[in-house]
Amino acid sequence: MSGRVHTKTIPPHERISSFAPYVSNLDDRLAVYEASRCLMCFDAPCISACPAGINIPEFIYRIKTGNFYGAAKVIRESNILGGECGYVCPVERLCESKCVRRNLNEEPVAISMLQRFAYEKEKLKGLVKFPKSRPKNKKVAVVGAGPAGLSAAYELARMGYSVTVFDSNPRPGGLLFYGILPWKAPWSVPESEIGLIKEYGINFVTNKKIADLKSLLKDYDAVFVGVGATKSQKLGIPGEDLNGVYPAQEFLYSVAKWLMGEGKAPDLKGKRVAVIGGGDTAIDAACASVRLGAERVYIVYRRSLAEMPAVPYGRNQAREEGVEFLLLTAPVRILGDKRVKAIECVKMELTEPDSSGRRGVRPIKGSEFCLDVDSVIVAIGQKPDEDLLKSYGVKTEKGLIVVDENFSTSIKGIFAGGDAVNGGETVVEAVAEGKKAAAAIDKFLSGGKNPKK
Amino acid sequence: MVSKPDISVKFCNLELENPYLLSSAPPTCTGEMIMRAFEAGWAGAVTKTIKPDKTPVYDLKNRFGVMGFENKQMIIFENIEEVSKRPVGTWVNEIKEIKKKFPEKALIGSIMAECKEEDWEELARVVSEAGVDMLELNFGCPHGMPERGMGAFIGQRTELIQKLTKAAKRGSSVPVMVKLTPNVTDIAYTAKAAEEAGADAISAINTVLGLIGINIDTFEPMPTVDGMSTFGGLSGPGVKPIGLRCVAQIAQATNIPVSGIGGITTWKDAVEYLLVGAGSVQVCTAVMWRGYRIISDFVDGLTNYLADKGFSSVRDIIGKSLPKLTAWSKLNKDYTVVANINKDLCIKCGLCYVACLDAGYQAIKFEQGKSAEVDEEKCDACSLCTHLCPVPGCITWKKVAKQVSV
Repeated sequence: MSGRVHTKTIPPHERISSFAPYVSNLDDRLAVYEASRCLMCFDAPCISACPAGINIPEFIYRIKTGNFYGAAKVIRESNILGGECGYVCPVERLCESKCVRRNLNEEPVAISMLQRFAYEKEKLKGLVKFPKSRPKNKKVAVVGAGPAGLSAAYELARMGYSVTVFDSNPRPGGLLFYGILPWKAPWSVPESEIGLIKEYGINFVTNKKIADLKSLLKDYDAVFVGVGATKSQKLGIPGEDLNGVYPAQEFLYSVAKWLMGEGKAPDLKGKRVAVIGGGDTAIDAACASVRLGAERVYIVYRRSLAEMPAVPYGRNQAREEGVEFLLLTAPVRILGDKRVKAIECVKMELTEPDSSGRRGVRPIKGSEFCLDVDSVIVAIGQKPDEDLLKSYGVKTEKGLIVVDENFSTSIKGIFAGGDAVNGGETVVEAVAEGKKAAAAIDKFLSGGKNPKK
Repeated sequence: MVSKPDISVKFCNLELENPYLLSSAPPTCTGEMIMRAFEAGWAGAVTKTIKPDKTPVYDLKNRFGVMGFENKQMIIFENIEEVSKRPVGTWVNEIKEIKKKFPEKALIGSIMAECKEEDWEELARVVSEAGVDMLELNFGCPHGMPERGMGAFIGQRTELIQKLTKAAKRGSSVPVMVKLTPNVTDIAYTAKAAEEAGADAISAINTVLGLIGINIDTFEPMPTVDGMSTFGGLSGPGVKPIGLRCVAQIAQATNIPVSGIGGITTWKDAVEYLLVGAGSVQVCTAVMWRGYRIISDFVDGLTNYLADKGFSSVRDIIGKSLPKLTAWSKLNKDYTVVANINKDLCIKCGLCYVACLDAGYQAIKFEQGKSAEVDEEKCDACSLCTHLCPVPGCITWKKVAKQVSV
């Protein structure tokens, strides 16, 4: 019985001067030590909590024995983006939340740190490549090279299908590059994993926006759509169209592009920024604002800390970096002429929990106040590109593509998964859906019945 | 308030303020070191083994190795170090100095010579006359020395044990303790041989012959001396069960005091040795690892333990567990229990389930997220689950009526 390792981090005042990673990885000694904290539970709850179903106790056991490459193999078997997920998974609400160590009143095993460790060791030798089946003489198109599309493309290529992936961006990866900034996961991680996926002989067509799926079906035997949720939900309050209001998704996209040397990032130097929302994206936007030189950054969230969806890790990061939390506070309108000058907010109070156990909120009359800000970032949720889905002609509901249990859309031969279907989950969830959809596509193309759930 | 328990012991002729002696090893290399140990609170010390000046001895460069386990850096220690290189004359002077400064502390001179009676007799005479309170005959060192007819070479041959014990007794003016090797088929047999030859006490165990490991990158066995190695002597926490067994066997077989040695790392280990009949205990590896200063917890822990248990003297616990050791055939075959899992304590890890499934009687039921449960009909009370359960006290015994065996 011993405590969890805590890795070295760069102090907040230093780390905010760059977008680089600030958490150091485990060295061999600490990794083997942390691995020894794993009880190797039978039918371990951490596995059930992992959307990709990684055999976590097995890979940790292999780290403990010094079989680092073997550990990486276990991870990659279940998750083709296992390295990236080691960096970005919200483990506090996934595997680590179910770690049995917690039942012993101890901190959970640092699963994500161990997963990163295994990936970094794997990289030294070359990422693990599995054998491919014989060519199947059938072609599949994948639209969108984000996590879901990459996962589906990889699985299908391994099965022997000829796969072409289309993406509207200059580089494949989707939000791995255009949504996740490098302090969370260095871009070398997705670069290496996409490089691995390419080794399976997949054809990537970038800078190509696909609007017509049905014509794709003329050239391909099946299509997988993984176009993600690239747009932000709107607040629906007055002033949202003023200069200085940024939808979070687009904001992060422009910061990422700027970091790649394309275009300009929003100029927040010396500015006051209000980020609306309490999810992981709100935290990312706030921490990015800090790095862009914003003088004051607020997170405006209508509920209390207990209801905040962002993982505690990110919340702590934001706090450490000087982000101010305005809780139980909702925006009423954004004020300004052409540019944002202030945001009017109202204080909220919690109501009794509803049937789902989540507490609601209601405004406190007369508690309105004004917060002087220069910019507002709206991070209250994401959604797929509405116009794009319309052009596809697939059935949608509440802005999301509708699929059956086999990830099949309303159009025969067109499958979908990832954020465009689930509305914006995690990278690992998208990987898992891409994998399941690939299996369904395989059944479909082999003339067999789609697997029942 | 209960008066403070007395932790002093009488071991042969020695009046010890506590049962703790430093064994013959690196921590007793010089008089200066021994005196610092005495200042720290050790009741006595056995010098590093003194040998005749004519016998050559070398200190190899790199002579230790360790075996760890998971996050434990060391559970077994190995050495291929030889006895003291220092001349007898140096030791004689230092023994006099130590006894002058610390007349109340016990100083035991460890000696070793080649298999010549006259050498043992002479060395015993010189060292005892220097002023030690007792001699310890090193018949146990398992590495280096046996190749030259010394150490364990003697301890593995009863005729030599007897001949050389008698020789040392002839030369010595103080009681003689024989230090035995565990690297024999039956240590009770060699202990009895020593007793018959006139040994006043036995100390055991010396290190266990072993090979601490192989470097799988270089293929070199450890500890590596210029690419080569040899078998060495194991000590440390991992050898305690061997030491305990040997001390218990010696205590059962002989009527002379036993000084218990082998992996004693804490006062609790010492208590166990006392319970199986050790009249004093000797410590080395734990001191090599953390220094003389550990004596203060050895003393305080033992004192508090005795007070908590209601003993007024440590002498009351010496040998207390010996009557509870018997032959396997005399154990109660009608004693029937089954494992019982405390549902409230169970952390639902499933470890007992998989152990019972793969190495037991398939007697535990488990489903993810639920507490494990024992099928009492199937449980054979092997105890495996009780040991590997990560929660202390979660799996306990439940007495049941004797089952009719199928």
